[in-house]
This record gives sequence, structure tokens and C-alpha cells, in this order.
Amino acid sequence: MGLLSIYFKPNFLGLLKCLNNLNWFIVFFSLINLSVCIYEDQIGKFDWRQTYVGRIKYSQFDTVSTAKKIIVATEENVLAALNLKTGQVVWRHVFESASAGNIQLLHVSDKVVTVTGSNPYLVRGWDSSTGVLIWEWSLTLQNDDQADFSEWWVQNNMLVHMLPMFGSHIEVSMYHLMTGQNRGATAKLPASWTNDGCVLAPPYYTCVSGEMKSQQLLSLDVTSNAVQLISRPLAEFVDLNSYDGSLRPVDGNSGLPAFIVDDKRIVMIKHNEFEVLKTAVFDPTGSVTLLDIANGPVVLQAWLDDTQGFSIQANSVSGAELPELRMADRDLKLPDPEISSAVCTKSAREQLVCRILVTGGDDSVHLMQQGGRVLWSREEALANVVAVEFVELPVSDLDAAIESEFDQKEAAKMYSSIWAAFSRRLQTQFQQLQTLVNSVQGEGAAQHQPLALVRDYFGLHKLIVLITDVGKIFGMDNLSGAILWQYYEPSLDTEGAVVFTRRTARHPPHDAYITIVGKHEETGNGLIISLNPITGTLIGERLLKLDVQLLQCTILHRPDNEKLHALILLDKDENVQVFPQSAAPLVENMFMYVADRSTARVQGYAIVYNGQSAIAVRTWLVRLGGGSQRIVLVQGKSATERVHSPGRVLPDRAVLYKYLNPNLVLVLTEGPDPLHKDVVVATCLDAASGAIVASQIHRRARALPLAVHSENYLAYLYYNDKHRRTEIATMELYEGKQRWTQAGAAFSSLATERAPGVERQAFIVPAAPAAAALTATERSLTDKHVLLALTSGAIVEVPWIYLEARRGGISEEGVVLPAYAPELPLPGDARLNYNLTVARPERIYAAPSGLESTSLVLTTGLDLFYTRVAPSKTFDVLKDDFDYYLITIVLAGLILATYSTKYFASRKMLKLAWK
Amino acid sequence: MKQLTSLLFTVCIFSYVQSAINLPEEDVGNGRYSIEGKVFPPEEQDLGPWQVDTRIHVNGGEYIGFIRDDGSFVIHNVPSGSYVVEILHPDYIYEPIRVEINSKGKYRARKVNYIQTSQVIQVPYPLRLKALSKFRYFQVREQWRLTDFLFNPMVIMMVLPLLFIMILPKMMNDPETKEDLKQISNLAKMSEMPEMSEMFTSLFSGGAAAKASSTSKAKQIKKRQ
Repeated sequence: MGLLSIYFKPNFLGLLKCLNNLNWFIVFFSLINLSVCIYEDQIGKFDWRQTYVGRIKYSQFDTVSTAKKIIVATEENVLAALNLKTGQVVWRHVFESASAGNIQLLHVSDKVVTVTGSNPYLVRGWDSSTGVLIWEWSLTLQNDDQADFSEWWVQNNMLVHMLPMFGSHIEVSMYHLMTGQNRGATAKLPASWTNDGCVLAPPYYTCVSGEMKSQQLLSLDVTSNAVQLISRPLAEFVDLNSYDGSLRPVDGNSGLPAFIVDDKRIVMIKHNEFEVLKTAVFDPTGSVTLLDIANGPVVLQAWLDDTQGFSIQANSVSGAELPELRMADRDLKLPDPEISSAVCTKSAREQLVCRILVTGGDDSVHLMQQGGRVLWSREEALANVVAVEFVELPVSDLDAAIESEFDQKEAAKMYSSIWAAFSRRLQTQFQQLQTLVNSVQGEGAAQHQPLALVRDYFGLHKLIVLITDVGKIFGMDNLSGAILWQYYEPSLDTEGAVVFTRRTARHPPHDAYITIVGKHEETGNGLIISLNPITGTLIGERLLKLDVQLLQCTILHRPDNEKLHALILLDKDENVQVFPQSAAPLVENMFMYVADRSTARVQGYAIVYNGQSAIAVRTWLVRLGGGSQRIVLVQGKSATERVHSPGRVLPDRAVLYKYLNPNLVLVLTEGPDPLHKDVVVATCLDAASGAIVASQIHRRARALPLAVHSENYLAYLYYNDKHRRTEIATMELYEGKQRWTQAGAAFSSLATERAPGVERQAFIVPAAPAAAALTATERSLTDKHVLLALTSGAIVEVPWIYLEARRGGISEEGVVLPAYAPELPLPGDARLNYNLTVARPERIYAAPSGLESTSLVLTTGLDLFYTRVAPSKTFDVLKDDFDYYLITIVLAGLILATYSTKYFASRKMLKLAWK
Repeated sequence: MKQLTSLLFTVCIFSYVQSAINLPEEDVGNGRYSIEGKVFPPEEQDLGPWQVDTRIHVNGGEYIGFIRDDGSFVIHNVPSGSYVVEILHPDYIYEPIRVEINSKGKYRARKVNYIQTSQVIQVPYPLRLKALSKFRYFQVREQWRLTDFLFNPMVIMMVLPLLFIMILPKMMNDPETKEDLKQISNLAKMSEMPEMSEMFTSLFSGGAAAKASSTSKAKQIKKRQ
């Protein structure tokens, strides 16, 4: 035998070696297989998309085609058709977000006609049922200065364009709607009475003109061949002493020429005469529209009454009220309602059937019918999300009870004797049993009920708080996308608003606590809203209007006795405010910086507690780019970030230590350069000491406000003007093969005199990115992938290994990194949102879930898209398609086989014994 | 060496000049132009109104075009410059095209090459765009196939011994094969193995000689090893 082993030994070792090599190959191939896409049958299992159109600018009911629709044109430059019954988008076209996409006119007859842009204009005709483009022609105005005052409407299949020259004349041109042929040249109507307060009620152009106290109300049909000026003294309509010169057209698009004088009287033009309606305006902030029903014109008014809530009232021209159209809804808190459009038809039984589309000041859209029933609502504020926060849900009451039972301090307080504790244990055990029985019983019934707002076992169920541009705050269930609560604050200006989770739901009996820091709409002063994110109710500081503008804000890293992280605000006078004030003594080791966007000047502050209050001390000042540059983006690290490993193992078993400075901030600046047109400078700045750690210049480039920054690496995007392509530059910072500090010691920005080594690389992005983010997991064990949202509507997941600055080299465990290739691969299976295109994406937010492998991702923009990603695949749970049936059947079969063979064996033995 | 560097230098300059030539006039002219083309629908026709789902983005959404019923599109009011025209369909891939309009209003369409930006592969203008293929968004689930199962080495390892165990005894029962087998075994015995009785007789009769032969045999085996 020994000889045999001698003979085999070298080969055996060789085999082992071979196997070892194979092992590397296996690791390598597992890395190559980086596709993390889902299976086709998982569509909609982890993700959802919500499509929005934006605040409605114009709308019109499409009553011609068979499928009833509402055609809307919005402030977000979107043309869409909404289903009349459900409010869902039937078709949608998203125009350019710049002024080239502004919708100037929406006209619905048998075709949908839009005028978009701002000199040059584009006139397009669409098929209202399918949304396909039918015709399109361009129109450029010679006079560019006044073009913004242009008015458009459609009359007798002609497109009318009116351009008033205030104080001199009106230019009126008519074009053939389909082809754009100009029927006759531009007509110039002399009108020295025009001013910028004039209103158009097609085809009449109405102005108030003349000396004070003797103003005239003038109106002109600009399309008629004969110039007929209607002129009446204004005193006939309103009291001139209280008149403040306001003239506004009625809302909606009834086609009846009417306007409102001084927010009081409604004046209609009939047979070239002014006709004052007997119905006065009920509420100057309300909305007034005229509606043409069978019996003649009807005045429809909507307003928000303090006592009766949202009200709608209809009066005929003679002043009589139409009681069937009266409605009041006390529960519907619709601020600043505006009747976008309304349509009424007579049913077979001579009853009025009305549909009224109402838009609120909070951008919500409601379709109502007569009697006040809301058929559907859309929250169009969500088309403009500015900030998002993922909030953990509280544990269920039962779990909370169990937790408190095992909490040492709590337990000592409550149970003096061992018997009390024992009885409590029995009690909770019984409760658990009860819930189990309930869940088994109610499984069928509970299918349709929404999930209770409690934390699930894997922490995948969270609540998303969305702050929208209009000042409306939403709480959304992340699994279903359902809106749980909403809070509207009209005075909140959310430009640059930030959200802080100041207390999670992990600390019962304290409620979760989030704070939104924004600006006041009018004054620009700080405005702080504190909410319980689970219920959407105000708590703590509630709604706090500060009397000073803010420079910077952050939260204290150390919680106070109530587990609340204090809010620290730095105001314009460089005073520090701490909320709650009792937390001021906790201020320690706090640093802040304020970057000025236009001058690229970054000022650093230290926040110090001096015994009575916290004060800000100026510590450092950096002028980036010598004054000619401007800041495009400042990207710090996530405050909650953890770093799993402090270094990377090289193939020679040495460790390359990462430069893990938590205060590191990436500042992207751009500016003109005499030699290279534009340059982009990326600077890594230590925000505590003001030291510049690394920098990189890109010549002939324009910066994009997109960057990711985590651990020891960062990536930012810029547009290379020379080669006309988008590029992504990455930087990795390393301390080197020796540690600067002891293992476990905290990093100090003030005690380092060495500069880290920087690895750099740049790659081509063969697309136009609109947003970038990194996936986030709880312990950062999992790989990090870069998520890029492209303007094409795709959200692409790029593994960091492709962006690694050390690409082409050998990483830890001898794994060969992919060789350097200049172009980043963006394959179809890297698309998170498969064929669910996300229109106009703006930001991506990623949040960790309770599972280490999984990260929750929300993309905002015109649409919302939520999904979850597992960058290193789901290594910690069974796959969701795990075949439980198969394994049960196999197990059962094996057990059955064991026992049956045992039986047969014993029989055989018996037979043998008898032989 | 010097020559080489100078050569390299000239090559660099040359390539730089070439790329400079290929760049369009940077200053934006007053003229507004329009980019025209036609998109051909994907092969499968059961897509419904594909015209609504298809959008045309110029320079990543700076200009947006829509296509008509017949697939033609026009993007109006574009100043002279260089543009990447992308056809976006949620399910089908179209190749992007770079369209360059110089200040005199001359058009040139070429393939997008982000790596070698100066390389020109012209394509006809007005653009004619066909869907390359369908996007592959999803992983394909592995399906259970009988052949996969049968050719699994584990299964083969299990099945083959089973075959030997089950079938060989059956074959033994067959008289003809039994005969054959016997013959084979007899043959084998005769050639290789000495008869047991023979061995014993030789052992007891001339032990020494036999021993010697056997040891030599063992040696031979050793050598062979």
C-alpha cells in the first residue's frame, strides 16, 4: 500500500493544486456572472411604478371618441389622456423639460392640438384615442422680445395667434391648423389702450385703460374683419374707489367670452355688448367658470369655505341657483381649488350629468360628479419629489411587550417577585398563541386588507416619507405604494429642503420622529416641520417658523435621554440654535461647513458648547478655483454609513488599508478656462480641518451634478466636450500598506499629517445619466453597486467592480478584476425597471433593509419607481422561488421508503427463517 | 530613438488635426434645422400602437421627437451642431446615430462611437432606423429536462452500478451466456492462474524452486511499479 501511495503522491498533490486552481476559477466565474436581474415571473413582485403627469395647466374632456377621456396638459410639460372612470393614464407624451416643451395651448376637438415651446413654437396634432402624432409644423416669430405675451386659440379650424404690443397695436395671425399655411398676412390692429393687465377671453381682448377714476373697460374682437371696439366706463361695473385694477379671465375652457372684474363681478360679452351677470363672485380666492349646458350658460363656482369645507355652486345667467349642482364636502380639504374643466350633459331622463375636474393648490386632482361625489383623485404633487426618507416601522404591540419583558431595567422596575415575572411570561406566551391562531384563521380574509404598519421579520417593510415641491408631505407604504397619510403646508418652500430621522421607531414608548427643514415661502426664513412619520401627525417642535434665514443644519450624532437626536441650526448671523435646547450640553466635536454656490467659497465652523449655549466658531476658509469657479455639487458620506473592512487583502497577503475619513467631502466645481474653454475640478476636502486631500482637473468638460461617495471611494460624472461623451471618473483613497492609527482607533481629521494614496480611473458612460446613487445595506458586508438613472428612462445597476480604479489588477483572494475597458457595459439585464420606463428621472434613493443582502431603491422624477436590489444576490434568505413542495415530497417519499423497506426486510427475514 | 519619438509626435499631431477637422463648427449659427428620419417597427406586429411607446431623444432629451403613424419623424428647430439621436422603445433596441449639421446646413449621419470619436462610418441621411433586437431584461429560469437529469454525473454514477447489479445476474441465468462466461473464465484460469491443486502439489514437492520463482515474480511486479 505504501508503494501505491508513493506512486500516487505527486499526482495527488497535482490534483489538489488543480482543484485549487479550479476553485479560483469558480470564484472568478461567479464574479463574472454579475447579472442580478430578475426572472420574468417576478415582474411586479418586488417593484411598482406610479405614473404622474404633474400639476394640470389645461384640461378638456374628450367627449367625441368612444372611450371617454380627459386630455390634460400640465406644468411639467406633459400631454396625457386620463381615463374618465379610473383616472389612470391612457397615453402620455413627455415634452422637453426646458422652455422648449412649455405647453401654450391645448385644444381638443376630434383631434388634440397642442402648441409647445417659446419661439420657435411647434404646433402638433394628436389622435385622441391612441395618442399618435398626426401632424406637426413649426412656427418662428420674428419679434422675439414680445413673444412671451403671445396668446393662442383655435377658431374655425384656424390657429389664431395674437401678439399684443402694449400701447401701440395688436398683431393677429391666422394659420391653417393642419399645415400651418398663413391665411392672409398678419393683421395689425391699432390699439393704444393695451397694457400688461389685459386679459383674453377668445376672441375678445379686454383691457382697463384710461386715467385714474375715469377708467374705461375696452374690449375688441380681434378676429373679426371689422374693428369693433366695445367701450364702457368702468364705473358701471365696480366701485372705482375700491378698485385695484384686477381683471382676470374665468377658469376652464367653455368657449364663452367672459372675465371677472375686481374679483367681484362676472362680465360676459354677448352680441358685442358687455353683460354683467347677476351672480356675484362668492369668494375672491375661489374659482369661477362658465359652462354651456342645454338651458344656456351656467356660472360654476368652487371655493373653500371655512365652515362648510369645499363647496361648489352653480347659478344660471339670470341668477337662479341650480340645486342639483350644489355640493359641499366638509372632509375634502382642498386648498385654493380651481375648476380645471367641467362638462355637463343631459341624460335620457332630463337629468344633468356633470363631471367637474378640480385642481387644488396642493396639486391634487379630483374628478367630481354632481352631488359632490369624488370619482377619483390623483396626487400630482408626487411628480415633483424633492426629498425622501425611508423610515423604520415600529414593532407590533406584542413584540414590544416581549422586548420590554427582557429589558433588564424595565424588568427590575416592574416585577418585584419571581412569580410576577412568571405570570407575565405565561401571559405573553398565551398572547402569542392567540395571534398565531388568529393569523391561521384570518388568512383568507386578511388577503385584501392592507398590511399592518408593523416591522416584519426581515425589515423589508418600511415607510417612505416624500417631500414634494409644492409643500405636501406624504407617507407611503413601500410594499404597495399606497399613500398612508399626507400633510400639506402651503408656506413651505422645499427648495433645498432636508429631512432628518431624529428618532427611529426602535425606542418605545417614544414615537418615531422626523424633522423637515425648509424655507418659508415668502420670507425665506427657516421653517421646521416635525412629524411622527408613522401617523403623519405633528409632534415635538411641530410647525416652527423661525425669524431668521438658515445657512446649514445637521443633527447631533449623540441622542439625549429620550433617544432624540438634537437638531442643530446655523443661521445667517452665525448663531447656533439647538432643538431641543436641553441638548446643548451634548454638543461636542461638531463641525459644519457652508459652501457658496456661485463663488465656490467654503467656510468651516466648529460648534462648541461654552457652558451656556452652543456657539459657532469659524475655523477654516477655502476658496476653490480662485473665484472663477462655481460649485456644482457637494457630496459627503452618508451619516449612517458603516465600513465593514478597513483594508483590502492583496495577492501577496499584504493589506492595503483604506483611507476612511468620515469628514471627507467631494466638491465638484466648474468654470471657464482661458486655454481649455471649461474645466471641471473635483476636490476632496476634509470638512473638519479644511485640508484638501486630493483633487483632479478635467479639461474641456462640463460638470454634471451627479456623484456617489462612500467608504474610501467616490465617483462623479462629467460631460467631456472634446469627445462629446459622458464620462465617469472614480477615485479610491488608500492609507497604504501600513495603518496610520491603531486598529479600532477613531479617525481624527486634525491629527493626520499624511496624504493618502489616490487611485484614479475614468470610464465612458454610453448614455445620458440623470441621477446616480449607491446601494446601501445595513452592515456594508454586501458589495456596493452604482445605480444610474438614464434620461432614456432606464435605471441601470453597475457593479462597483467595473468602476474600480484598480481594474485590471488583482484584488483580494487573487480574484482577477475585469480588464480595463474604456466603455462601461450597460446591458439590458442590468436594468432594474425592465420595460417600465421611468419618465424624466431626477433622483435615486437607496436605503438598507433588515436583510444584509437587500437594499431598497426608490427613483423619483415624473414617475415613482420602487424596487429592491441584492448586489451580492440574496445570500441570507432562501430564494423566493424555493420549491417547498419538491423538498416536502422528497422527504416524505424517503421516509415512506425507509419504513416500507424495513417492513419488507422483516418479512423476508421471516420467510428465510421458515425455510 | 529620437526619430521614433519625433515620429510618434507627428502621428499624435496628425491624429489631433484629424479629430479637430472632424469636430463641427462650435459656434451656434442662427439657422434652425430639422433632423428627419423614419423608424421601422419591430418585426412582431402585435405591439399595439408602437408609435406612442417610441420616443426620439436628441442629446439625452434636449430635443424630443415623436413619430407619426408611418414611423417618420422630424425634430424641428435644431441649431447646427452635433447630436446623438436615440430611438427609445421599452422593449426593442435601436442603434443610436450621431447627426452632425454644419453651419452651412449640411447634414452628416454616422455611427456613434464613443471610444474612437474621430472614426466616421457614415449612414444614410435622412435616417432609417430598424430595431436591432429585443431587450433581454430577464434571467431565463432553468427548466427541468429529462436529458439534463439523465446525464447528470451523479445519476450516471448511481444508475450504472444498479445496472450491473440488476442485469448481470439476469444474464447469468441465460444458459448460453452462462456457457460463454464459463469458457471465458476457464480460458482466463488456464492462461493466468495456476490451478489451486497444482500450486499446492508444487509447493509441497519442490518448495525451494517455486519460492524462488515467486519472489522473482514479485520483484518483477515491483519493477513494473
